[in-house]
Amino acid sequence: MLMSLTKGRSTLLPSFISYRSFLVLALLLLSGCSVTHKKVNQLSQSLNTNSPEAVLTQLQTIKPKEKDRPLFNLNIGTLQFLSQDYPSAITSLTLAKEEMAVLYATSITENIGAATVNETMRSYSGTPSDLVMVHNLLALSYLFNNDPDSARVEILQADIMMKKLIKKDSNSGQLASAHLISAVIYELLDEQDNALISYKFAAELMQARGTPLTNDIKLALTRLSKELGILDQFDQYKSEFGISDEQIEKLTAKNSSALYFIHFDGVVTSKKEVSIMVPSYHDNRNDQLIRIAMPSYPNVVRNIGNATIDVGEQDIRTSEIENVNTIAREDLDAEYPAILLATTSRAVLKYDAVKNAEKKDPLAGFIMNVATVLSESADVRSWNMLPASIQYAYVSTGEDNVAIRARRLAKRKIALNPGSKHVILTSSISDKLFHYQQEKSIY
Amino acid sequence: MKSSKLVAITLSSVLILGGCGTTVERVDAGTTVDLSGAWNDTDSQLTARTMVEDALSRPWFKKHMQATGKAPTVIVGKIKNLSHEHINTQTFIADIERELINSGDVEFVADATARKEIREERGDQDLNATEETRSAMGQEIGADYMMQGKINTIIDVDGTDQVRFYQVDLELISMKDNRKVWIGQQKIKKLVENSKMRK
Repeated sequence: MLMSLTKGRSTLLPSFISYRSFLVLALLLLSGCSVTHKKVNQLSQSLNTNSPEAVLTQLQTIKPKEKDRPLFNLNIGTLQFLSQDYPSAITSLTLAKEEMAVLYATSITENIGAATVNETMRSYSGTPSDLVMVHNLLALSYLFNNDPDSARVEILQADIMMKKLIKKDSNSGQLASAHLISAVIYELLDEQDNALISYKFAAELMQARGTPLTNDIKLALTRLSKELGILDQFDQYKSEFGISDEQIEKLTAKNSSALYFIHFDGVVTSKKEVSIMVPSYHDNRNDQLIRIAMPSYPNVVRNIGNATIDVGEQDIRTSEIENVNTIAREDLDAEYPAILLATTSRAVLKYDAVKNAEKKDPLAGFIMNVATVLSESADVRSWNMLPASIQYAYVSTGEDNVAIRARRLAKRKIALNPGSKHVILTSSISDKLFHYQQEKSIY
Repeated sequence: MKSSKLVAITLSSVLILGGCGTTVERVDAGTTVDLSGAWNDTDSQLTARTMVEDALSRPWFKKHMQATGKAPTVIVGKIKNLSHEHINTQTFIADIERELINSGDVEFVADATARKEIREERGDQDLNATEETRSAMGQEIGADYMMQGKINTIIDVDGTDQVRFYQVDLELISMKDNRKVWIGQQKIKKLVENSKMRK
């Protein structure tokens, strides 16, 4: 199709270059332009078969450009977390968080670059979801590093960030998973009132995004409203969710152990470039090639897996709290009109530049056209080492042990002391079990 | 504007603005430098000084002197960070300890970690030091009061602007009977305006 569109163009090219070879050269160079981003995208998809440790080793061999450094640190930090190297994960993710905070302000030079060359001239400043998700991973890194107080700092920062990003007509940057992790950390620190508020926010966001409210969230809302003595609310939840007295008694029984089980499933989809290259017609003759490239998320049918916790005779499965693919698409959708406007404006600007150059010298016009076509590429950068799905299950039990199972994790037993609180995390791409047991403060 | 001119301006801007490297300037440790608006060394030192001055000017101090005839012995316990920032509470504790000791009004004893190390050393002296130079076990001074507290924050955010409100609550608790003999509070409010533009 492209060839048919550009028939007759060869008359405009210098005699020593055939149009076919021009196209081949252009396409070859184009494929080389975003090689780093493509390599990172391939590495993220390789997580479905390779371990996070192996992918981390490969990712660390890539030297990122300065403007991609926040994204690089986000991806490195995620893999360090999944490899259970918490101090390194904290360092990398904190660096990314600080870099994104600096880049939050609009850059004059980068905007000029983006307006004239392409969108990747901008530094990666993070999508709204990234700005919140980084606190999620930092909170979990601190928690599994036995520092719940610092984890609390991160969830407060996530809350501030979500308030900063709030918009009337969009849920962009509002994460149910952030509220859920906040609720879990508040429960560990015996701040049940704050935990209840966080569970409520998580439930509101899930409902707003059409995610079915999981049984665990329903039980948490009911359980905490009872524990805090908010009895009218307790009665309302009990009847609304159809929860029996027996269930509540079991959940609030003294000396029961509590398990807050988070599961990361799969790997989030990477962005792809969608581009068209068409010839423009000027003064009734073939004039120049115009290329427009936009980022998009491919449609991927994903099988959602779960992790399981065996409690006595019962098998409890994790349920989805947040579909990370959905929120990534939400972020792109919110940004799309601005990207489209910038891309079309840039195409007009590039067209003018080629025309002006061509007036002076046809060869200069040709070289300028090659440059404008080659430089046009979509910004396909995204934090793509994240899980595709964040899931959760809550267990309250009098048993003295439970067993955890996940895709790559062989059955692992966890001993429970009466009245203890545990946070467990598994990932479908890792064979590791993440475990934090609450330490009772002496104060 | 012609496109070629715009491209030239872009390149010049990138070159000029991108040329600014890192610069380091030594400043006096007492100088107030606010970069991000976060809790910093100045906040820590000023809060410690103000609160210790307040604590030592309150009635509990005179009452203790009258009742026992000697200066109270104080220890600083845990100061919990409940703020939205990663605050190193150890440096704040060190500032409080310094203010208490330098006041000359109270006796001050080492915290649990330091005591453990000193006891180990004393145990070693028992075995290895000469009789004349050995520090005997069981001669420690027990604290009369423990200072504890927490740092809280309230953040109001609008776009790139923030109002940060810090509240530091400290209390002095009698070791003998858990009485709270002093409660102090220090508030700091900061308006942080972040630039909407960068180079």
